[in-house]
Amino acid sequence: MATVALPRPAAYERPALLEWLTTVDHKKLGILYLYTTVFFFAVGGILALLVRTQLAVADNTFLGRQAYNEVFTMHASAMLFLFVIPVWAGFGNYLVPLMIGARDMAFPRINALSYWLLPIGGILMFAGFLVDGGAASAGWTAYSPLARTLGPGMDLWIIAVIILGISSTIGAANFITTILRMRAPGMTMFRMPIFCWTVLVTAVLQLLATPVLAAALAMLYIDRNFGGSFFDPNHGGNAVLWQNVFWFYSHPAVYIMILPGMGVISEVIPVFARKPLFGYKAFAFATIAIGGLGFSVWAHHMFTTGAVLKPFFGFMTFLIGVPTGVKIFNWLGTLWKGSISFETPMLFALGFVSMFLIGGINGTFAAAVPVDFAIHDTYFVVAHIHYVLFGGAVFAMFAGLYYWFPKIWGRRLDERLGRLHFVLMLIGFNLAFFPMHLLGLDGMPRRIATYGADTGWELLNLLSTIGAFIIAVGMLPFIVAVVKAFMSPKDQPNDPWQANTLEWYTSSPPPAHNFDDVPEVHSERPLFDLRHGTAH
Amino acid sequence: MRLSRIVRAAASVWGVAAVAALALAPSAVAFAQLGQPTPITDEARSMHRLYIVVVSLAFAVFAGVVGALLFAIVRYRRRSPDDPLPPQIHGSAKIEAIWVAIPIIIVLTLFTYSAVVLAKTDRKPPEDALTIRVTGFQFQWQFDYNLQDLGTRNPVNREGTVTVLGTPSSIPELVIPVDEPVEFVLHSNDVIHSFYIPNFLYKLDVIPGLENRFVVVPRVTGTFRGQCAELCGVDHALMLFTVRVVTRDEFDQWIRERAAGTAGAAPTSTGNAQQQ
Amino acid sequence: MATQPIAQERQPLSNAMLGFILFLASEVMFFGGLFAAYFIARADAPSWPPTELLTPEQIQRGVKLELELPLPAIATVILVSSSFVVQWAVWQIRKGNQRGLIWGLLLTITMGLVFLVMQLYDYSTLHFRASDTIFGTTFYTLTGFHGMHVAGGVIFLAVVLIRALGGQFDARHHEAVEAASLYWHFVDVVWIALFTTLYLVP
Repeated sequence: MATVALPRPAAYERPALLEWLTTVDHKKLGILYLYTTVFFFAVGGILALLVRTQLAVADNTFLGRQAYNEVFTMHASAMLFLFVIPVWAGFGNYLVPLMIGARDMAFPRINALSYWLLPIGGILMFAGFLVDGGAASAGWTAYSPLARTLGPGMDLWIIAVIILGISSTIGAANFITTILRMRAPGMTMFRMPIFCWTVLVTAVLQLLATPVLAAALAMLYIDRNFGGSFFDPNHGGNAVLWQNVFWFYSHPAVYIMILPGMGVISEVIPVFARKPLFGYKAFAFATIAIGGLGFSVWAHHMFTTGAVLKPFFGFMTFLIGVPTGVKIFNWLGTLWKGSISFETPMLFALGFVSMFLIGGINGTFAAAVPVDFAIHDTYFVVAHIHYVLFGGAVFAMFAGLYYWFPKIWGRRLDERLGRLHFVLMLIGFNLAFFPMHLLGLDGMPRRIATYGADTGWELLNLLSTIGAFIIAVGMLPFIVAVVKAFMSPKDQPNDPWQANTLEWYTSSPPPAHNFDDVPEVHSERPLFDLRHGTAH
Repeated sequence: MRLSRIVRAAASVWGVAAVAALALAPSAVAFAQLGQPTPITDEARSMHRLYIVVVSLAFAVFAGVVGALLFAIVRYRRRSPDDPLPPQIHGSAKIEAIWVAIPIIIVLTLFTYSAVVLAKTDRKPPEDALTIRVTGFQFQWQFDYNLQDLGTRNPVNREGTVTVLGTPSSIPELVIPVDEPVEFVLHSNDVIHSFYIPNFLYKLDVIPGLENRFVVVPRVTGTFRGQCAELCGVDHALMLFTVRVVTRDEFDQWIRERAAGTAGAAPTSTGNAQQQ
Repeated sequence: MATQPIAQERQPLSNAMLGFILFLASEVMFFGGLFAAYFIARADAPSWPPTELLTPEQIQRGVKLELELPLPAIATVILVSSSFVVQWAVWQIRKGNQRGLIWGLLLTITMGLVFLVMQLYDYSTLHFRASDTIFGTTFYTLTGFHGMHVAGGVIFLAVVLIRALGGQFDARHHEAVEAASLYWHFVDVVWIALFTTLYLVP
């Protein structure tokens, strides 16, 4: 096909602040997402340290009981709604158009709106600390009827989460349209980077599930402010209704939180093992299966309510372990007989695989309904969620940051600092969260502001707190590495890692228009094909 | 990357494991039960056996996968930048089928076993179960014994209720007889709570507008912890109770003492003299 | 690089329309959540309307959990008819008939406004509030959110009308009209489901 050279519009300089405030460029928006979400990760982390300090010793009075409830609620809300869900919007925004050879996302202005709703939602949510009664304190799960009765901080939280939900939903429509419609010539669905598959399925989940949360939140708001009775059994409402509508969203939400992270790992491991992802198609189908099955398991959060069909949800929950296992085996298969190097992205990827494995396994405990009766709402669950969210999503985020840092900012993060970061985080993380399995099994419930010395839980709690502070210390080498990098010149080539996908075809960082030209795509590894020919 | 670095990283992980193992030492009993507290009811013992199967499988899967992972990263590490490109294997339908089929078999087995245990824990209570009404409220518990519904015996032959009420300064004690079915009927006065007894390996939510019930047969005497396990407000952490399992004779004695203490227009001793 | 073809009829669905349809899917899920709450509440209730749930204070205040059929039924006819009108308007502009489009939009907007006014009037005749049992809560929540979506649709159509008056649409370029009509049909279908559920199902 003949190509026509188009005249390039001249770049025009605008003041940097105005540029960043009004940009619709997916790369700048992606960077804004990353800055904002990493900021809230730090905020959520500080709140976690407050929680762990309070629980380090028995009968502690470091935090009052009301304050404690606010702190852990805001810790979880910040981590989930302001960090782990939108961070993948950040990675997705920056990378998806580059990975598919496009100029930008399908709807750049909607994209900007999506981003700006994030800091607005964050500010609203945290404004709760300033109002009478303090911030939201019913847990991030806001169970009714408790959430109906709490102070105005809950209303701010409700509105904030609705706003963040809108950000998520319209972002999802953007990603779906972009991925389905704007891929480079030759890039069939099964030739696009696997990261794009995970973003696509995640976007479908966001599109369909988030509005249900909005409905639940609207109902809670009406109950709280208009005398509604949705969740008030005294007037015909149903307390368990909240849990059903909430978890109908929030279970798919956890796949929203992890699937793109799995996509990141699936990009990193093939590069540093010098082999293609083992079972690309199976991986894509497993992603779709997890997305679909994810809508059928929500009541496994409600096994102890006595109000759900336990065998059905127990069965579906067991079933969803199968495609998840397929992914882990595919990563193993990629490493097998490869040529493995251990740069920092790969370290975090290997950490992800082992830690997420533990999180998947301890989730299976809860799928066995009679076992769940014992561990539900105990620290065993806290261990589970942190192994999948921290050992999983956070490790994946760092793998992605170290991997794509050169592409985004044109500099590489220091390898030695990266390794130190990884080791400290691995040790700190396991020390912080492994003891929680034992605490939960022994009967320590979740969300308790304190515990007595007679419980015998002090030692494990203290170890956990130490682990949490080691994690915090482990962030220092990362911060130093980032500062160091920003102070050094942009010296990275297009493809510093000898990678596989189209984002590495263009410069580091890419020009505003992303590509001067795009190679024809014949496989899922266009850059590998350019380097080695298409015989592989 | 040099082998020494891998070894150091692995050593740090094992170092963590060693510290964790030391932390486990004080709880040797928990260790023997693989983490769970002593199950004291028939239902708990059944659930505990399921747990042992699950946790054993968990360790086996973990060891297998991580073992393979560690083997792979050591055996297939790049020794020099000039190492040749490894064979570019894209996948194998046969291998995918295997590692879909085997997990399906495992989960089907686990599910079936779970369903069998679930049928046991969810069974309808027998007619002669001792019934205790449990009321959860912010932030304590109330236990009501209907004197006409005390299970296999009738130690206090009159109508009435023995109530044990928890207060902020006094943790309520739930007394139940060993070797007999005990049914708990749960009600909430306000928000959702959860009636959790770790040694029952069981909890059931206490939900306003919904009456939840479950039955257990305790087999071990002693005093055990209980705690609310659903966030219910500012003093959720204080919503504690204890469960004391006693012989039936001791239970009858206890109930009689409490009933006498609450006797208003109760029958005189002529009625009670015939009781043990 | 992937580019959009110039003529709309060669591409059955543009990126913008795809994005809009995806947005509509999310709106369906939102109403789905509300409907689910209604069905669960109804299944749980001792009777429907749940008059035994009325407190003495509510009875004394004269609360009656009753819905009158005639007014909403007329409103339904108007709203459903307006869907036909807006579709006719779309067919007009597909043929290039700008005047037909303008009159069609104007009539649709008018009918939409009439529907809203009738709804508000209907509200004023009711003998219960949102705080009067789950019956009141679900009624006002469902019809209220629907009404808000109708209002949004009216605004959308009004913007499209203003653009039409400015001559911005022709046979090959009228994507906003298609989108607005699709939104209006969605609002209509939701109302049919609502009306059936709230008023017709005994």
